[in-house]
Amino acid sequence: MIQLDSLILGDNQFFGINHMSQGKGQQLAERFSDLNQVYKAYHTAHDLGIHAFMLNSNEKAGEICNYLRSHKSEFPGMVLYPSIPYPHKYANLVAEKGIAATIQDVLSGQSAMDLLGMATKGLGLLTGDLTKIMTLLVDVEMKIFKDLDFKAIYLQNIITDLLLGLEFKEIFIEYCRYVEKKYQATPGFLTMNIPKLSAFLNECGIHNATICGSVNKAGYLMSPDVAAYEDYFAKSQPYPITAMSILASGAIAPREAVTYVQSQGIQSIVFGASSRQHMLETMELILETAQH
Amino acid sequence: MTDTQRSPCGTQATRDVPGKSLRAAIIGVGRMGLTHLSILGGHPFLKITAAADGKSLITHAISKYRTDIRLYDDYQKMLRNEELDAVLIATPPDSHGPMIEAAMQSNLSIFVEKPFTLDAKEARRFAQRSVDQSKSFHQVGYVLRYTDVYIKLKELLQSNILGRIVCFQAEMLGCTVLRKENSAGWRGERKTGGGCLSEFGSHAVDMVVNLFGKPTQVTGSRLMPIYCEHVEDMVHSTLLYKNGTIGSVYANWSDPSYRKPVLRLNILGEEGRIEADLYGLKIFMNKEHPSFKKGWNTINLPDLMKPVPFYVRGTEFTRELYAFAEGVRDPSRYNACSFVDGADTQEVIEMIFLDADVEK
Repeated sequence: MIQLDSLILGDNQFFGINHMSQGKGQQLAERFSDLNQVYKAYHTAHDLGIHAFMLNSNEKAGEICNYLRSHKSEFPGMVLYPSIPYPHKYANLVAEKGIAATIQDVLSGQSAMDLLGMATKGLGLLTGDLTKIMTLLVDVEMKIFKDLDFKAIYLQNIITDLLLGLEFKEIFIEYCRYVEKKYQATPGFLTMNIPKLSAFLNECGIHNATICGSVNKAGYLMSPDVAAYEDYFAKSQPYPITAMSILASGAIAPREAVTYVQSQGIQSIVFGASSRQHMLETMELILETAQH
Repeated sequence: MTDTQRSPCGTQATRDVPGKSLRAAIIGVGRMGLTHLSILGGHPFLKITAAADGKSLITHAISKYRTDIRLYDDYQKMLRNEELDAVLIATPPDSHGPMIEAAMQSNLSIFVEKPFTLDAKEARRFAQRSVDQSKSFHQVGYVLRYTDVYIKLKELLQSNILGRIVCFQAEMLGCTVLRKENSAGWRGERKTGGGCLSEFGSHAVDMVVNLFGKPTQVTGSRLMPIYCEHVEDMVHSTLLYKNGTIGSVYANWSDPSYRKPVLRLNILGEEGRIEADLYGLKIFMNKEHPSFKKGWNTINLPDLMKPVPFYVRGTEFTRELYAFAEGVRDPSRYNACSFVDGADTQEVIEMIFLDADVEK
């Protein structure tokens, strides 16, 4: 079973994603539009002992990965937790063109060599085999992470939760099989529906997955509700959990948030921080709370 | 009618309710149809038993992975063959009319994606028939009416917190169309329901109608292409009300500074001001108020957000469909976006088109 890092630095803050305010999001987007600021934040985190980074495969991630690859020696022990795909890229394309044309568009953006490599699986496009197409898309999204170390590959929550409701079991089964076999990584799922997803994965006979979802006392981004999550965490958990949105976008104070997550038996947290001070405070808080 | 019936967030009440399972079909399994199918995946009493669409990757996947759903390539055949309580229509807007007609003839409850239809007169006819067909439930999919922030905003305005409304600005902004080639397909023609006003700006128009009702006059309307050849990428219009309120609607789907679509409202009343966006509400009160202090008050989204039974692409899509399911079971329930509401919005959209065409 995967040994999750106890502290994983997330990436929302680098891309202007802030659920609290658009103004704050804009400020961060402006600051981190210079990717040197992002690299600096990674160095700061690494120097402090945070070696795990979650990174979404958005349009800036390619360049960030190039940097991490070419400076690998400066990040000993670094491990990535990629999340795929960048949902807004697909959302905009699907809105314009429809689902099938989007997939064609994404795949046709690949180089001839890559397409040749994919040709063996390309039959999926012709036969309409969604599981095969899914593996092609995983490869497209994962290209930027080549030669970097990663433990788990997370499917973005928009995709996870959509497929969960559709009850397309085979896609989940094939995703897990493929990620483990091709990338030697643990298949991961981001979700806003932890109890439902866990029950579904179990029904699919999937045992090797890890789940990352919101965990906070406020019930923010937790469906169906806090009580269902608490019931779920009270039992033995079949899938290792990483907590995100622990501050409920600022509604909960950090100490209270960390105490709550730990009280649910969760040992891994993904958090957003953009300054050394903030990273240090979060680390100290987690260490201190864990000791109590 | 009780308060819980009046709220569009009747989701909690539907959990684990015993009783008869209701059957629904979906026409169109593109992006929205797929979302609806997903949300209803775990619904306690409304089950999707059939779907109609042309051959596609998605229908292929449904036929392979969801053998419990009967697939048709012809919706009329589906309506004839299936025993249904409700139908969800999620096809491009120019096809809605005949589908609504067929579903109404079968006395089915109907959920139709926005915009309701492309013809305000047709929308009004459906709305009138809907009032007469009280045994079924008819809803239009203006999903922003079901967002936590806008539910709260409507509550505040209904409580008359701002006094008489002096003016408002509604803005719908996003980055859907940023290249010339983006304008292909049905979205690239007005007659098929394309263009920024019908497809995107209709959310802003609908929210204005939802909060302030229909204006008596629309003036100064401009439809401007930026990338699209045949339709507008931007719309700007002024709305005048009988009571003196003046409003403006600005929609632009070609603004790359917005990562995802945003609806923003700024409302000035005689007693204060409210700014609303995806992130929450900022309320300025001119005087002390029983619920708010004098000056600025902020309500952030996490404080407003109520969980839904199953989260897919936000809470609002789930809340919207769960409200529909409740309506299918009990058509006397409060309908937050009825066919009458849809027709009102359609008429204002048409007023803007007509005004813009005259101004041109």
